[in-house]
Amino acid sequence: MRPFGLLRIERDPEQSWARTIFVSVLAITAAFLVAGVIFWGYGVSPLRAYRVIIQDTLGDPRAVPEILLPAMPLLLAGVGLVLAFRAQFYNIGAEGQLLAGTVAATWVALFTPTPGPLMLPVMFLTGFFAGALWGLLPSLLKLRLNVNEVITTLMMNYIALSLVSWLVTGPWKGPSVRGFAYTDTFPDPAWLPALAGTRVHWPTLLLGIVLAALAAFLLNRTRLGFEIRVQGQNPDAARYAGVNPLRTTLLVMLLSGGLAGLAGVGEVAGIHHKLLDPNQVSLGYGYVAIIVAWLARGNPLAVIVTATFFGLIYSSGDVMQVSLQMPFRVTDVFNGLILFFLIGSERLLQYRVRWVPWKS
Amino acid sequence: MRWIKLFVIVTAMLLVATTGWAQQSKLKIGFIYVGPIGDFGWTNAHDVGRKQLEKAFPGQLETFYVESVPEGNVEPFIDKMVRGGAKVVFTTSFGFMDGTIAAAKRYPDVIFAHASGFKRASNSATYMADFYQIYYLNGLMAGALSKTNRIAYVGAFPIPEVKRHLDAFALGARAVNPKLTIHVRWLFSWFDPAKAKEATEALLAEGADTYAFTEDSPTVIQVAAKKNRLSFSHYSPMQRFAPKHVISGQLVHWERIYIDFVGKVLKGTYTTQNLQNVDYWWLLAEKAVELGGQPGQAINPLFTGRLKAAKVKTSEFGTISVYDLVNRRLAQMSKNPVAFDPFTGPIRDRKGVLRVPAGKTMTVQELTTMEWAAPGIVGQWPGEPK
Repeated sequence: MRPFGLLRIERDPEQSWARTIFVSVLAITAAFLVAGVIFWGYGVSPLRAYRVIIQDTLGDPRAVPEILLPAMPLLLAGVGLVLAFRAQFYNIGAEGQLLAGTVAATWVALFTPTPGPLMLPVMFLTGFFAGALWGLLPSLLKLRLNVNEVITTLMMNYIALSLVSWLVTGPWKGPSVRGFAYTDTFPDPAWLPALAGTRVHWPTLLLGIVLAALAAFLLNRTRLGFEIRVQGQNPDAARYAGVNPLRTTLLVMLLSGGLAGLAGVGEVAGIHHKLLDPNQVSLGYGYVAIIVAWLARGNPLAVIVTATFFGLIYSSGDVMQVSLQMPFRVTDVFNGLILFFLIGSERLLQYRVRWVPWKS
Repeated sequence: MRWIKLFVIVTAMLLVATTGWAQQSKLKIGFIYVGPIGDFGWTNAHDVGRKQLEKAFPGQLETFYVESVPEGNVEPFIDKMVRGGAKVVFTTSFGFMDGTIAAAKRYPDVIFAHASGFKRASNSATYMADFYQIYYLNGLMAGALSKTNRIAYVGAFPIPEVKRHLDAFALGARAVNPKLTIHVRWLFSWFDPAKAKEATEALLAEGADTYAFTEDSPTVIQVAAKKNRLSFSHYSPMQRFAPKHVISGQLVHWERIYIDFVGKVLKGTYTTQNLQNVDYWWLLAEKAVELGGQPGQAINPLFTGRLKAAKVKTSEFGTISVYDLVNRRLAQMSKNPVAFDPFTGPIRDRKGVLRVPAGKTMTVQELTTMEWAAPGIVGQWPGEPK
């Protein structure tokens, strides 16, 4: 690399967490600066904008829990995606797997005679299996016929979308909703408890954190985790070392789909308490979870941070709309800028800047 | 020098920031929308209503809004509005119903009003401006102008509101031309121009020549006009998208309801204690809805001649032109109480089941829950009663 004065930029064989965090924070700051210019162009002083955003998201005790609402599904689905990505299985289907989870949970809540105390555990369990099942078909296609999983998992999303749409307008349409496209409200035992005074359905949050820790343990401390990592880094070497690609891929995909399914259960049992239009059930969480997982850079525990960060972005968007009267698309612009800078800074992670004293 | 400049700029910005923050003591009114204000339908119409409301009470109130609010998220938005000082909150989508009622419990000193729902509380009213009378009038015109004896309806969702409009449209059309059939396609979306285009093309292929629809874009009008087919504008003034092909349509005036409601709040007639039974169901007579594809023009003059030439036999007026019939029905329905209602018995559904007995008119409760399909309707009908 060409030296710049006393600085020397060179490829760094090692990646350090400190630098990853430093560069990411720098990228996000740059995004904030550019977003500030957009606010200013819209006629809102950037200083005021950021003050209002911070005040109304982090500075208000009643608003803080709202950050966790989108963070919970992002955490669950994101941890699952991290597992899949580590095995180099590009699961773009978290949205569909999440919706499969909502369908299973709704079925348990409304159409099975599950006794009250068992209701929520059974909903989560069937939600997990439904999500896993939704991920099974693409993984089988990949393993048996080598069909590109990016396409199949993505397509499965639209099937899930149509399935939910058909259920709520057709067979599952509730008699109590006067013909609108919703199911009936879940019975009380199917409602997740919320932290007092908020809508944070804490069991989902707890589940997310515990599963993130378990996933980290699985990846770093178990034989299966080792196999997943090896297969992700070099499938040929993995096969040579005796790793069964069928087994690891299937397992990873079942876990990934299952976790997205759990996120879906959390949404219907914690927020909506019924099944409704698929675009209202999940606000694109399955897609945003891809970014969340990607930003966590393969570390399941880091998903806790990245999911919360995106929760903050969602809730800043809400604040921008209400308190600053900006159009709703501003949230997308904001998200887009942050991603643009984060992905743009990706290259920087592989380089280091070194101080080289002048030598003649 | 540069530092001084920077200092001045920063101080100025801080000053602007702090003074802009000052609170005012006007009545603050929040609006929560389900779609973007830039759509061509529902949300845009509510936003037009909001602006008219501001104009009607200059200096007395201040309004603010959020658009594209997801149904599961209405509560946090209401929280933010109330924290921002809102004393009246309008929520404008059926999906906001439970959230609105929950918020009404949480904020007993804030007044709420929810569009299109049926749950109320002492501080939460409901309101709706409905089109079924106008769809009947549109149907009369479609019946006179269709040459293929096939007309079409592109519906958003198969829910009672849309079914009611479709049935009224079909009843009107068959009142003029009993041989006519009404072909239906569902979009399962309120706003989806791509699907609307597809549906319209399918209906064009089936030979339908006159189009009505429920979708928040002018797509159906544009696609039909390309094939030289006629259509009715929906919700906002869409005649301008095909001035030679739009016969008439439905226009809404939410401001009529907003101005009335807020006026009563300002006067103290409506309080947080007495809204349990306040339900606006406003139609032609209240001027909450209007016949036409652009304001002030009930029928596109290009079609006046053909509508005058089409004669129809009625038991009430004898043989008259469809043009006159539309105007007489319009006049009858613009009175309060109305002298005519499209859903007056005897009416059988398309399966032959008697739905409205002779001499009876459907109640608001029956209208808002109706699921049956009127005779002449062809196509899928999810949730059709047996």
